[in-house]
Amino acid sequence: MEKLTFEFKNSQKVTKAVHVGVVASGDLEVLVYPTDKQVTSLEITTGSDGFKEVWGNVLQRFFDRYPLLADFKINDFGATPGVVNLRLTQAMEALKDEE
Amino acid sequence: MKNSFVELNARQRAFALVDAGTGRELVGALDYMISPHLMPQGIVPESDDGVVLVKGKVADKNVVIISIEGKFQGGGIGEVSGAKIVAALEQALHDNENGIEVYPVIILDTGGVRLQEANYGLLSISEIHNMVVALKKYVPVIGLVPGKVGSFGGMSITAAILSYLITTNRARVALNGPEVIEQEAGVREFDSSDKDLIWNTLGTQQRVQTGIADEIVADDVTALKDALTAAILEKKEAHRTEKVDFFLSLLDKVDFSKPLNPQEYRKLYRENVAQPHQIAEARSTDQAGTPSRGRAWFEALTGIKNAQTNVSTVLDATVDGKTYIAIVPDANNNLFPRVKNGEVGLKEGFAVAAVVNRVVAEDADKAEKRPIVLVVDVPSQAYGYKEELMGIHIALASSAAAYAKARQAGHPVISFIPGDAVSGGFLAHGLQSNRMIALADESITIQAMSKASAARITQRTIAELEEATKHVPAMAYDIFNYQKLGALYKLVEGIASNDPSPANVAQIEKLIDEAITSAQDDRTLHFRYENPVAKASGRKATLAMRQAVADQW
Repeated sequence: MEKLTFEFKNSQKVTKAVHVGVVASGDLEVLVYPTDKQVTSLEITTGSDGFKEVWGNVLQRFFDRYPLLADFKINDFGATPGVVNLRLTQAMEALKDEE
Repeated sequence: MKNSFVELNARQRAFALVDAGTGRELVGALDYMISPHLMPQGIVPESDDGVVLVKGKVADKNVVIISIEGKFQGGGIGEVSGAKIVAALEQALHDNENGIEVYPVIILDTGGVRLQEANYGLLSISEIHNMVVALKKYVPVIGLVPGKVGSFGGMSITAAILSYLITTNRARVALNGPEVIEQEAGVREFDSSDKDLIWNTLGTQQRVQTGIADEIVADDVTALKDALTAAILEKKEAHRTEKVDFFLSLLDKVDFSKPLNPQEYRKLYRENVAQPHQIAEARSTDQAGTPSRGRAWFEALTGIKNAQTNVSTVLDATVDGKTYIAIVPDANNNLFPRVKNGEVGLKEGFAVAAVVNRVVAEDADKAEKRPIVLVVDVPSQAYGYKEELMGIHIALASSAAAYAKARQAGHPVISFIPGDAVSGGFLAHGLQSNRMIALADESITIQAMSKASAARITQRTIAELEEATKHVPAMAYDIFNYQKLGALYKLVEGIASNDPSPANVAQIEKLIDEAITSAQDDRTLHFRYENPVAKASGRKATLAMRQAVADQW
């Protein structure tokens, strides 16, 4: 298990908290909370050690398209980058649904 | 088009069962009440700890759906997830007591105790059993076992206590998983690689024919909801743990030295007729029983030398207004080869239930109920193929439910632990008491599973497992760490498990009497949460969850 933290300078304020996913084998959960801070922070707990760079790339690509300003918590149980991207996109869809 | 229920996650399942628009989740993912015990062991937690609570309506009735996520840690019950279930059931109980009808529904998709929090898992599951027994006085408590995990371990004991069990054909229900039986009893007892054997024995198609599950419906959201609605409206109740004579009669007919296949067992079950069974009081004999810590203390506390009843592994006697009950080994037990070492098997569970039910019936009209003292020395439940085929979890549930009922009726139920207190054996004989006294003796093992099996199931080496237990009292195997959970009323120093002296016995008798006085007006299990050790550390996460559920209820 490894704990990772990231920060991104994003602009698109999130006004509601959402949750998607399950900490199942090969899957993850994403929690998004509104923040008063000027940066997006992510706390990631992952069961697969040694993938910090891959996480950084996946997150960078996602935030390039959707610069969500929020606090993220991610609990990952060995999801592939594709699944991570899918869950992040679902979280974004859930934010849209409620706004 | 078919709309699969099994493929949904726990949260989706809970919302799928309540009428559209009525569901409200309590203590949800965003509240982020995670298990504090997983990350110290290098395991990723989940924001809801794998249990989802949704209040809503089904056919205009108030329900609370308790949905266990089978995909997170195999649906295992730990401290936080367990406390969440217990707290929701307790709120539902309060509502029902106050005239507000609330039907609890539990979706079981669980391997039972979460082995990484084994001691909390066992405590929580016993607290769930207690709540279900209490709730059934008001409303049926319905269970759903959709699969894919199914229902195993201590949560199958819960399944047996539930009023009515709705399943799909994608689920299995058993106490011990095939891998654990293979680990404990050998591949010839149960081959865990033989999938047909497993499904034919533990699958719901077999289980509905033999009183272990009540109904199979298609894996379809509407079909499951219809079945649930009917169960609620018709207040269905299988009385599964009240068939002690039926099962003891059935046991008389099974030869445990010979093979028994699922088809043959169906026939035996179908043709079985309940005959009354009385478990006699222990009397003194010329022949010493198999020595054990439990037997030594039972004989010392009751003054009955070489005690025997008509069941060689169950001792009970009423002395000075207290009924003592012990489960003991019988090395010559040729009828049930899997319980030679004092394990709690089919016969033991049902026989203990018969004793406790008799005590409750005898005292039904008395203002003062007689105390029941359990002498606990149970190395585990029995691991065997025929045990699973017949549903050993019903036997353990029968005694657990009997003890819970006795306590709820006003009998002080006290456990004295001079020996091992392990797993299903402890759930059946020990954990329904609300005052537990243990000896501070290094020989005592208290846990949910042997180290070999726990290592296999959690995919660790025994060395890794032992390393983990050093840092996490929740995982400990010794009584000293167990005390840190706040579960014990007293840990008694200076008395060895074996060979008690008259002074030792007098000291324990005095402590038992103090415990009885202390439990006099307490029919609950709250002592475990409310003592100083529990409050300061042992059950901190439990108490936080209980508060959160109460606040959001």
